[in-house]
Amino acid sequence: MSTMNMVQALNSTLDHIMSGDNSVILLGEDIGKDGGVFRVTEGLQAKYGEERVIDTPLVELGIVGMSVGMSLMGVKAIPEIQFQDFIYTAFDQIINQMAKMRYRSGGGFTLPMVLRTPYGGGIKGGLYHSQSGEAYFAHTAGLVVVTPSNPYDAKGLLISSVESPDPVIFLEPKRLYRAAKIEVPDEDYRVKIGEAARPMEGDDLTIITYGAMVPTVLNTVKKNNLNADVLDLRTLLPMDVNAIISSAKKTGRVVIVHEAPRTLGMGAEISALISERAIEYLYAPILRVTGPDIPFPYRLEDYYMPGEARIMKAVKRVMEFR
Amino acid sequence: MTEMVNEQNEKDVFVRAYTAMVLSRTFDKKIVMAQRQGRIGFYTPSIGQEATQVGLSMALDHDDVIFQYYRDVALMIHRGVPIEVILDQIMGNAEDESKGRQMPSHYTAKKYNFMSVQSPVATNLPLAVGAAYALRYQKKNTVVVATFGDGSTSTPDFHAAMNLAAVFNLPVIFLCENNGWAISLPTEKQTKVEISEKAAAYGMKGIKVDGNNFIETYKATMEAVERARSGKGPTLIDAISFRMGAHSTSDDPSKYRSQTVEEGSEKDPITVAEEQLKSLGYLNDSLIAKIKEESTKMVNDKFDIQEKIPAPVPSTMFDDVYAEKNWIIKEEEDDIL
Ligand SMILES: Cc1ncc(C[n+]2csc(CCOP(=O)(O)OP(=O)(O)O)c2C)c(N)n1
Ligand SMILES: [Mg+2]
Repeated sequence: MSTMNMVQALNSTLDHIMSGDNSVILLGEDIGKDGGVFRVTEGLQAKYGEERVIDTPLVELGIVGMSVGMSLMGVKAIPEIQFQDFIYTAFDQIINQMAKMRYRSGGGFTLPMVLRTPYGGGIKGGLYHSQSGEAYFAHTAGLVVVTPSNPYDAKGLLISSVESPDPVIFLEPKRLYRAAKIEVPDEDYRVKIGEAARPMEGDDLTIITYGAMVPTVLNTVKKNNLNADVLDLRTLLPMDVNAIISSAKKTGRVVIVHEAPRTLGMGAEISALISERAIEYLYAPILRVTGPDIPFPYRLEDYYMPGEARIMKAVKRVMEFR
Repeated sequence: MTEMVNEQNEKDVFVRAYTAMVLSRTFDKKIVMAQRQGRIGFYTPSIGQEATQVGLSMALDHDDVIFQYYRDVALMIHRGVPIEVILDQIMGNAEDESKGRQMPSHYTAKKYNFMSVQSPVATNLPLAVGAAYALRYQKKNTVVVATFGDGSTSTPDFHAAMNLAAVFNLPVIFLCENNGWAISLPTEKQTKVEISEKAAAYGMKGIKVDGNNFIETYKATMEAVERARSGKGPTLIDAISFRMGAHSTSDDPSKYRSQTVEEGSEKDPITVAEEQLKSLGYLNDSLIAKIKEESTKMVNDKFDIQEKIPAPVPSTMFDDVYAEKNWIIKEEEDDIL
C-alpha cells in the first residue's frame, strides 16, 4: 500500500505498465522532459527513453493518427492530449479511424490503445481549459469511455484500459488530480470496464454521477444525512445498466449529477434508460443537476459548477414529490 | 498607425516604439509578480518578444485587422490599446470586454481591430484568411495579420491557412513569433526546416527576420504590407526571438531547458533597441531612465485602480451565447441564480 493522489497513481501505474510491457509507447505534447503539464508522465522519459516516451510536435491530429497507426502494428499506444479542449482537430481521427477500425475491417484490425486526457473545470481555466466533452465520445460506437473519480479507480481503470481489446478514451477529471490522497495497493488490480461503483448505499433515493462530481455528491450526502444510494459510473460507454436500473427500482427516486451541460449530456441517456426499464417503480420525475448550456466561464466558474445547494434543491424536489 | 508609416520624424516614431516595448516589459513583470501574490490567476508574458510585436505594429494601419494570439501585449500597447483594457481582461472584471469569461491573456479589443483570442493554437489562422477574402471582396485596401508561435506551425490549421491564402492570393501576413520554444519543445524538435522556408511549399513569400530587432522587423513587415496592399499576395514572416520568461505562470522551465537570456543582456530586444537608439542619437541614459520610471509608475497606479473593479454580476455569464437567450438557458439561469 502507498498513499497517493490521482497524479501519482496514474504516474506509477504508467511506469508499472511500461516496465512490464515493452510494446507500450507514450506520446504527446510536453510529456517527456517536462513530465506533462500536470506531471502525470513525470520521470518516465528519463527511465524509458525518448523512443518510448515521445515529445511530439504540436499536432493533436497527428498524435492520435500516429497512435492508431502504431496500434495497428501491435504497439500499444497511450497518447496524451494536453487538455480535452484541444482534442477537436483530432476528432476525425478519433471518430472515423479509432472508433471504426475493428468494424470496417471485419474484426481483422483492432486498436488496443488508450487515449488519456484531462477534462472538466474547477481550475479557473475558462472557455478552453475546462470543457467536459464526454458526451461527444460516448455518442460514438466503437469507443470505450471511462473516467475515474479517485486514485484507486484511476489505477485499476488504467490497467483495464491498457488490457482492453478496444480503444479507450480515458478521461481524467483534472480538478481531482491532487484533491485527495488515499491508499493504493502496490500490486496489480483491475477495475472492470462497464462496472459502476457504489460508494454509498441507501434506500431513499439514487444519485448517479461520475468524475469530478463524485466527491461533491458524497459530501452533500454526508452533510445532509441523506439515505442515498450513490453510483459512480466510472465507465460512460458502456454504462452499467444493471447497477442503474436496480438502484432506481430500489429507491424509486433518481437525481443525476454531472458537470457537462445538460442538453444531450450523459444524464439524458441515463434518464432514458430508467424511463424505458423502470418507470413503473418511480415515485418522482428523474432530475438532472448539470452545468448550464453555455460555454465555460472564467471569473464566474463557481456559478457554473454544480454544488451542494443545487443538488439539495433537486433532492428535495424528488423526495417531496407526490 | 497610419501616421507612423508616413511619419517624417523618425526619432518620434522610434522613441514611441521603444516606449511601448518598455511599457510592455514593465507590465509583464508586474503581472507575473501579481500572479505570485495571488492577485492574478494566470498569465502568458511577452518578455523577449517586444521587438517583434512592436516592429509588426509599426507597419500597420489602424484599419488593418489582427488575429492576435495570447502573447501580444507589446503589440496591443503599441497599437494604442489602453493598459486599463488589458488589465480588465487579465483581471476578468466587470469592465472587461469579454465580461470576465476568458482566462487571462485572451484579449478582445474590437475598437482597435484586435479580434478575439482563443486558446487552441493556430485556429485563428484560417479566420485571418477568410477575413482577408471578405475585405478584398468589399474593395477595402486592408491587410490582415495573424500572429502565432513556432509550435503552432505544426498544426493542420497552419497548413490549411497557408495553402488557402496562397491559392486565393490574399492580403494576409502570417507573423510567426518564433521564440524558440513551444512550452518544453525547442523549435528544432518541432520542425525540420526553417519556418520561413515553409512558405515556398505553398507558393508564397517567406521572410526570416531578427525578431529581437524592432527596426528589422518593421522593415520586413513593411515589405509584406506593401505586397499585400498591391495585390501580390500573402507573406510568412519568421521573426526569431527568445522566450525569456516561462511559458506561463503555471510553467517551470528549469524542468526542460538550461538556456536563458538575462534581462539587459545583448540578446534582450530592449537592450538591442537602446543601443540602436543611442547610436542614432535619439535616446540617452537619462531619457531611458525616465521612460522606465514613468512606465513603472503608470503600471503600478493603473493596476491598483483596476483591481478595485468588481467581478461581473453572475447573470452576465448567461448572456451572449445567442443573440437572444433560448428557453434552455433561461431555465438554467433561473435555476442557478
Ligand atoms: C491545439 C492546442 N494544443 C495544445 C495547446 C496547449 N498549449 C498552449 S501553448 C502551447 C505551446 C505553443 O507554442 P508556440 O506556438 O511556440 O507559442 P508560444 O507559447 O511559444 O508563444 C501548447 C502546447 C493549445 N493551446 N492548443
Ligand atoms: Mg514558441
